Amino acid sequence: MKDGSGDIDCLEALDHLYEYLDGELTPVRAEEVRLHLEKCAPCLGVSQFETAYLRFLEARARAREAPEDLRKRVLEQLLFDGDGDAGS
Amino acid sequence: MAFEAEALPHLDTVYRVALRLAGNEAQAEDLAQETMLKAFRSWHQYKPGTNVRAWLLTILRHSFINEYRKARRHANEVDVHRVEGFTVFEHVQESDPEGRFFDQIVDDEVLQAIDRLPDEFRETLVLSDVEGLSYAEIAEVTEVPVGTVKSRLFRARQALQRELYDYAVEMGYIERREE
Repeated sequence: MKDGSGDIDCLEALDHLYEYLDGELTPVRAEEVRLHLEKCAPCLGVSQFETAYLRFLEARARAREAPEDLRKRVLEQLLFDGDGDAGS
Repeated sequence: MAFEAEALPHLDTVYRVALRLAGNEAQAEDLAQETMLKAFRSWHQYKPGTNVRAWLLTILRHSFINEYRKARRHANEVDVHRVEGFTVFEHVQESDPEGRFFDQIVDDEVLQAIDRLPDEFRETLVLSDVEGLSYAEIAEVTEVPVGTVKSRLFRARQALQRELYDYAVEMGYIERREE
C-alpha cells in the first residue's frame, strides 16, 4: 500500500488524474500524482489535455440562468402558497 | 433562515440541472417550478446549516425520476462503454496536444452531446462539470457511493470527449489520425 513516500506508475497516476484535477485527492495522494507528472512527460501531456477539456466543458455549459418569467412564477407561487410550512 | 433567502438563490442551478435532465425548456421550467414548490412545502424538513443546494437537487432528481424520466426520448444515446481502450489524447497528441479543437465547438453542440449521455452518467457529469459539486455532494444527491460517482464521472467525461472529437473530425476542425 501507498504510504506517501513511494513512487506511483503511469497507470496509477492516470487512474487518479480526474480526482487530482478535481481537487478530490488527499494531500498525500495529490503529492504522489504531482510528483509523477513532474517527471513523466507523456502523463503530463495527458494531464494538460484533460485540463483544457475540463475548462472547455465548464465554459460551454455553465453560463445559462433561469428565465426571468420562471423566477416570477416561482415567487408568485410561494406567495399564494404562503400558508404552508415555510411560513411558520 | 427563510426559504426565500436560503433556497431561492439556487433557482439558476435547479433550472440548469432540470434542463439537462429533462432535455427541453418547457419541461425544465415545470420541473424547476415544481421542485421549488415541493421544497417550500417541506422546508421544515430541511436541517439548517446543511447543504441546501444538494437538498434542492435531491428533490429535483426525485421529481424527474418519478414523473418525467419515462417521457424522455432515448434516441442516439451515447454508449459509455465505447471508449474502452480508446483515448482521444492518443489520437491528437501529435496534431493538437493542447486540445485547441475543443474551442471551435459551439455551446449547442456540447449541450446536445451531454443530452445524449445515459441518465446516470449525464446527471453525474452535469452536477460536477456544469454545477461544480464535489464528489461527496454528487454522491448525496444521486444516492450512490463516492466510488460510483468517480467511475461514472470518468466514463461520462471520456464518452463525451469521444463524441466531441468525432464531431470535430466530421466538421474538419481536426484531421483523423491514420491508423
